[in-house]
Amino acid sequence: MSPKTRTDCIAWVLDVFLYLRQPSWMVDSKRMKTTSNFRWLLSAFVLLYLMNQVNSQKKGALHDLKCVTNNLQVWDCSWKPSGASRGAIYEVCIGNRSPCYLLGKTNTKISTLSPGDYEITISPLHDFGSSISKFILNEKNVSFIPDTPEILNLSADFPTSTLHLKWNDKGSVFPHHSNVIWEIKILHKENVEVIKLMTYNTTLNGKDTVHHWSWTSDMPLECATHYVGIRCYIDDPHFSGRKEWSDWSPLKNISRSSDLQSKVFPQDKVILVGSDITFCCVTQEKVISAQIGYTKCPLIHLDGESVAIKIYNISVSENSGTNVVFTTKENIFGTVIFVGYPPDIPQKLNCETHDLKEIICTWDPGRPTALVGPRNTSYTLFESFSGKYIRFKRVEAPTNESYQLFFQVLPNQEIYNFTLNARNPLGQSESAILVNMTEKVYPHTPTSVRVKDVNSTAVTLSWHLPGSFAKIKLLCQIEINKANSIQELRNVTIKGVENSSYLVAVDKLNPYTMYTFRIRCSSETFWKWSKWSNEKQYLTTEATPSKGPDTWREWSSDGKNLIIYWKPLPINEANGKILFYNVSCSSDEKTQSLSEIPDPQHKAEIELDKNDYIISVVAQNSVGSSPPSKIASMEIPNDDLKIEQAVGMGNGILLTWNYDPNMTCDYVIKWCNSSQSEPCLMDWKKVPSNSTETIIESDQFRPGVRYNFFLYGCRNQGYQLLRSVIGYIEELAPIVAPNFTVEDTSADSILVKWEDIPVEELRGFLRGYLFYFEKGERDTSKMKGLESSRSDVKVKNITDISQKTLRIVDLQGKTSYHLVLRAYTDGGMGPEKSMFVVTKENCELNTAIEMLSILKCIVFYYRKREWIKETFYPDIPNPENCKALQFQKSVCEGNSALKTLEMNPCTPNNVEVLETRTTVPKIEDTEIISPVAEHPEEISDAEPENHVVVSYCPPVVEEEIPTPGVDETGGTSQVIYIDVQSMYQPQAKPEEEQETDPVGGAGYKPQMHLPVTSTMEDPAAEDDLDTAAGYRPQANVNTWNLVSPDSPRSTDSNSEVVSFGSPCSINSRQFLIPPKDEDSPKSNGGGWSFTNFFQNKPND
Amino acid sequence: MKVLAAGVVPLLLVLHWKHGAGSPLPITPVNATCVTRHPCHNNLMNQIRNQLAQLNSSANALFILYYTAQGEPFPNNLDKLCGPNVTDFPPFHANGTEKARLVELYRIIAYLGASLGNITRDQKILNPNALSLHSKLNATTDTMRGLLSNVLCRLCSKYHVAHVEVAYGPDTSGKDVFQKKKLGCQLLGKYKQVIAVVAQAF
Repeated sequence: MSPKTRTDCIAWVLDVFLYLRQPSWMVDSKRMKTTSNFRWLLSAFVLLYLMNQVNSQKKGALHDLKCVTNNLQVWDCSWKPSGASRGAIYEVCIGNRSPCYLLGKTNTKISTLSPGDYEITISPLHDFGSSISKFILNEKNVSFIPDTPEILNLSADFPTSTLHLKWNDKGSVFPHHSNVIWEIKILHKENVEVIKLMTYNTTLNGKDTVHHWSWTSDMPLECATHYVGIRCYIDDPHFSGRKEWSDWSPLKNISRSSDLQSKVFPQDKVILVGSDITFCCVTQEKVISAQIGYTKCPLIHLDGESVAIKIYNISVSENSGTNVVFTTKENIFGTVIFVGYPPDIPQKLNCETHDLKEIICTWDPGRPTALVGPRNTSYTLFESFSGKYIRFKRVEAPTNESYQLFFQVLPNQEIYNFTLNARNPLGQSESAILVNMTEKVYPHTPTSVRVKDVNSTAVTLSWHLPGSFAKIKLLCQIEINKANSIQELRNVTIKGVENSSYLVAVDKLNPYTMYTFRIRCSSETFWKWSKWSNEKQYLTTEATPSKGPDTWREWSSDGKNLIIYWKPLPINEANGKILFYNVSCSSDEKTQSLSEIPDPQHKAEIELDKNDYIISVVAQNSVGSSPPSKIASMEIPNDDLKIEQAVGMGNGILLTWNYDPNMTCDYVIKWCNSSQSEPCLMDWKKVPSNSTETIIESDQFRPGVRYNFFLYGCRNQGYQLLRSVIGYIEELAPIVAPNFTVEDTSADSILVKWEDIPVEELRGFLRGYLFYFEKGERDTSKMKGLESSRSDVKVKNITDISQKTLRIVDLQGKTSYHLVLRAYTDGGMGPEKSMFVVTKENCELNTAIEMLSILKCIVFYYRKREWIKETFYPDIPNPENCKALQFQKSVCEGNSALKTLEMNPCTPNNVEVLETRTTVPKIEDTEIISPVAEHPEEISDAEPENHVVVSYCPPVVEEEIPTPGVDETGGTSQVIYIDVQSMYQPQAKPEEEQETDPVGGAGYKPQMHLPVTSTMEDPAAEDDLDTAAGYRPQANVNTWNLVSPDSPRSTDSNSEVVSFGSPCSINSRQFLIPPKDEDSPKSNGGGWSFTNFFQNKPND
Repeated sequence: MKVLAAGVVPLLLVLHWKHGAGSPLPITPVNATCVTRHPCHNNLMNQIRNQLAQLNSSANALFILYYTAQGEPFPNNLDKLCGPNVTDFPPFHANGTEKARLVELYRIIAYLGASLGNITRDQKILNPNALSLHSKLNATTDTMRGLLSNVLCRLCSKYHVAHVEVAYGPDTSGKDVFQKKKLGCQLLGKYKQVIAVVAQAF
C-alpha cells in the first residue's frame, strides 16, 4: 500500500466529531448514553492529544497496512505509523467511497469490501512532515482469523472414562455457510503434555449452534487431571483471503473428586475379550507391584505416587471377574474387571404354544458371554404387530437355566412377528421369527383318559386336553394294544373345544378282550405330537361264542363208549368266559345229552350203540351259546389203507396228501404215541378241505419217539381214515446194541445170531447193522474202537433188517476173534456190543503131539525120580513132628516146600473148570447185562472179579459186552472163556506184572500168568506168596476160582456165561488152590490141589 | 465407627422375627420387663455351646470356599486381602462373667449375621454358580440366627437383659466389587478367628 498525504485541518476536526458520534457495533446503547455526557470533554481531550501527536511526529510515510477479519463482515485494518507521527490524526479514505473519516489511532474497522482492489488513502493530519499514504486493499490481502472459541462446558463420565465437551460456534455472525474444523487438545498436565489432539468438523449455518463432542480415554479419567482446549478454522468458500486457525481457548480441566483413599481405576468395568486397557492406582503410598490375576505388570508412573499398567489383549474372566491389584508395602488395592463377549445372535428361536393361551418362545443363547449376574445378557421379546414386549433378565439364576419367555396369546391375532433382542454391557444382537400360532400347537399331554363301553365291539374314549382350541381342529392318535397282537394306531380328527374335554368312539374291537388305550394329539396342521397319555386298560364286554369247539371222538378200547373230545375255544372265538359245554348225540331214533359240562373239562364219554350218531358240542358263555360243532360217531370204512413211514423236521412233521374232491368238510390229522394204549389220541388238527398238506407241530413231540399219524377226510360230518403214518419228529441213534450170541463155531467159521431191538430203544427206523470182526484176544486186542477204516478190521453192513444171523467164514483155527455188532438208524449209530470168540483148533494133530509130550514127561519123571527127590527133597520130615498136609505155619513153617511129588495118572480130555462165584455179587451180574454205559477201563478193573474159567480146551470164547468207550449206553457182560492150555503160554503175561511179581527173584518162576489176574488185588494172597520160600504155584492162585471141573458150560444167563465145544485131550496138570480158599465153601466144588502134584497121596 | 446400616436393619428385623426367635431387640425399651415370646429350652447353654462348636468347625471351610471363589490373587495374598483387619468388630473378653460374655456374644453374632447377609447377597450376584459357597453361607447364617435367639433367651430369662446395643459392619452395597470381595474375605477371616475364641470361652 503506498501512502498519500494531504492536509485539511477543519475537515479533520469535523471527522473526529463525526467519528466519535458514529455508533459502534460493539457499543451498546447504554454505553452510548454515558458517553454522550462526556462527548465534549472527550473531544477536547482528543483534540489536544492529536495536536500534540502531530507536533511531535516526524515527517514520513505510513507502512504495513494489515487487515484481518474474524467474522467476514468487518475488516480490522491497522498500519504502522512513521516514527514521528505517533498520536497523529489520520484521514482515511477508502477508494471512491465517501466520505473520508478521521482517526486518532492506527487501525480502523471497515466493512467487508467487495472483491477487487481498493485504494486506501491515509493522511496524517496536522503533521506536516508526513506524507499521505495510499494503499491498494484487496480481500486477498485480508487474513481471516476466527474468534477464539469458548468452552461452554466440560464434563466427564468416569465409569466410561468419557469426556463431554460443549461449545458454541457463534455461527450467526458469519454471513455464509462454512465448514469449520475444530481442533481439540487434551493434556494431562496443564500446558505440558498433550496426550490427544483431535479434529472435529462442523458447518456454520448462520445460527449460533452449540456443539457436543465426546472422547473416551484409554486411561480412566480418575487416574489424572485432564485439560481440554479448543480452536477452530473456518473454511469460508467465499472468502479469498488468508484463513488462519483461531487462538486456543482457555483450558478447562476435569479431575476426580478429592478423595484421600487410594483407589484403583476403572472399577467394575466390563470390556470385550481381546481389548487393551489401562488400569491406574491413585494413591499416596508407593506402589511396589501390580498384577492381573497371576500376571505381574510393569508400572507406568503418573502424577505423584499414582501408577498405571497397560494390559493388551485381555483374556476372558471367571464368573467373579478378573482381579487387578496394586501392592504397596502395607496393603493391596485393587479393582475387578469383567472381560467377556457381547451376546451372540439368539439361535434356534422357536415359538409354540401348548394351549393357544400362552406362547412359549425358546432359544439357544449361542456362545457364552462369560458375564454373569448384573452383567448377564438380558433379552427382550418384542411382538411388532401388537407392540407388546416382555423382558427376560436373570441375575442370580444359574447359567444353565433354559431360555424361554412366555407371551400371552392376543385375542384375534394368529400371526405373531417376534423379535428377540439380546443385550449386555458389551453389545446387543437380535433374532426374529414370524409364526402363525395355530400351526405351532404342541398340545399338553392328554389326561384323565376314560373308557366306556358301547357294546362288545365298541367303546368311547374320553380325555382332558387343556387348551383353547376352539379355532382349530385336533388330530389325535389312539394306540390300541391287546395281548398277543400287533399294535394298532387309529387317527381321529376332532374339532377343538374350549372346555378341554374330548370324546371319540372306538369300534371294531373284539369282545371280551383286554385292551390298552393311550392317546396323543396334535393340531390338524401338524407341528408336534403331544406326549402319550397314561395307558388305560379296558376289558370289552362278552358276546356269544362265534364258533363251536373243535371236536373229535374216539371209541373206547372196549368199543362200547364213545369218548368225545373238544378243544377250548381260542379267546377270539370264545368271546367271553366259557362257562360250560353241552354235548348231545342224536340219531334218527334217539338223542342223548350231556348238559353243562363245566369248562375245564374238555372230554365226555357216552355209551352208544353202533348206530350212526351225530355228536353235537356247544360252548356257552354268559351271553349265549356257540353254533354246534358236529361230528359223526362212526368212521367211513376204508379198505385200502397202507402204513407209511415219515420223518419230521425236528420241530414238526410234514404230511401231504392228494386232493380229494369228495372230502367236503375238512381233513383231520390225529396223532398219538405208538406205544400208547387205545384209544390212541394225543391231539388232532383240522385243516381246510382244499389243503393237501400240513405240518403237524406239538410241544409234546420228542425226538426219538415213534408216533402214529392218522389222516381222516370228512364227508357229511363223517370221517374216513385215509392214511396211517408212523413217524418220528427226529430220528436218533439206537440207545442199545443188538443182543447177539455165538450160535456155533468151527475151526474156520463163527455163526452169530442177534435179536431185535425194542421200538422204544431203537429211536428211529432201523436201517441196518454193522458187524465188525478182527483177530485178537481180549486184552491184547487193539480194538478199543472199531474203525472201519482200519485194514485189519473187517466190516459187514447188513442192510436187510430182517436178517438175524450171520456166519463168518474163512477164519483161522484156534484163533481169538473180536466180534462187534451195532445197529443204526438215520439218526446215527447205536452202541456196540462186542464178544471175543476163539475158533476151534484142528484136534487130531494137536492131540497126537500133546500125547507124545505127556509120555515123554512121564518117562522123564520116572527115570529121574530119585534125582529129583535127592535134589529137591533131601530130608524127609519126620511125620511125627509135622502135619504135612495141614500147612500150618505155626507148626511147620518153611517145610511146606518139602512136599513130595506125587504122580497122578494122566487123564486126557479131562476138563478142569475154575469159576469165580464168591467174588461176583449178584448185583454185578445184573449190571453186566444192563444196557447202561460202561467204560473199558472199568471193565478191566472188574474183570478179575468176573471172569469164569470154563474149560481148558478150545473152543474158548471170551465175550465182551459193548465197549463203553464207543457207546455210552451199552450194557456190560463180562464172561471169560479160557483155554486151560493157553494159560500156560508165558507170552500172555504183561511186562509190568512180571516186575511186580512178589516171587520174581526167588526160586521157581511161575510159568504163566493169567492175563486177567491182578496181583495187586488181593494183599492176603501176596502175603502168602512172600512167606513161601520154596516152590510156589506157577500162577497167582488168588485169581483163580474154583468151578466144577465137569461143568462144560455155564448157563448163567445174567452173566452171559456161555461155554461151548468139546474138551480135547491135554497134558495132565493141577490147579493151585488158594490157601485161604481151602476152607471156603466155594473150594469144595472139586478138583485137586496143586500140592497133590508133589505128593504121593493126595490126602495124606 | 459404628454404622447402623440402613440395608442391614431390615435384615436384622427379619432375622429376629423368625419363628422361634426372641423378641426384636431394638424395640424393647431399656427398662421394660424382659419377656420371651416362647419359653427357653431347658438346656440352653448346651445348645449355645453346640451351636458355637458347629460354627467353629465350619468357619475355616467357609473361609477357604470364599477366598477361592474370588479368584487370584486372593488365595495367595491372604494376609493383605483377607487379614482380620475389621474395624469396629465387637470385642470379646473370655474371662468376663457369663452375662458379660453372653452380651458380647450377642453383639458379635449380630454383627456377623448382618455381615454374612451382605456377603451372601453380594456373592449371589457376583458368583451365581458358586452353589457350594452359597449353601455354606446360608447354613452359617441359619445357625447364627438360632444362636442369636438362644443367646437372647438366655440373657432374658436368666439375666433379664432385654436390650443390647449392637453395631454392624459397613454396608457393602455401594462399594465396588473388589471392595466387596476384600471386605467379605476380611470379615470371614475375622469370623474364623473370633469364633474359635468364643467357642473356647463357652
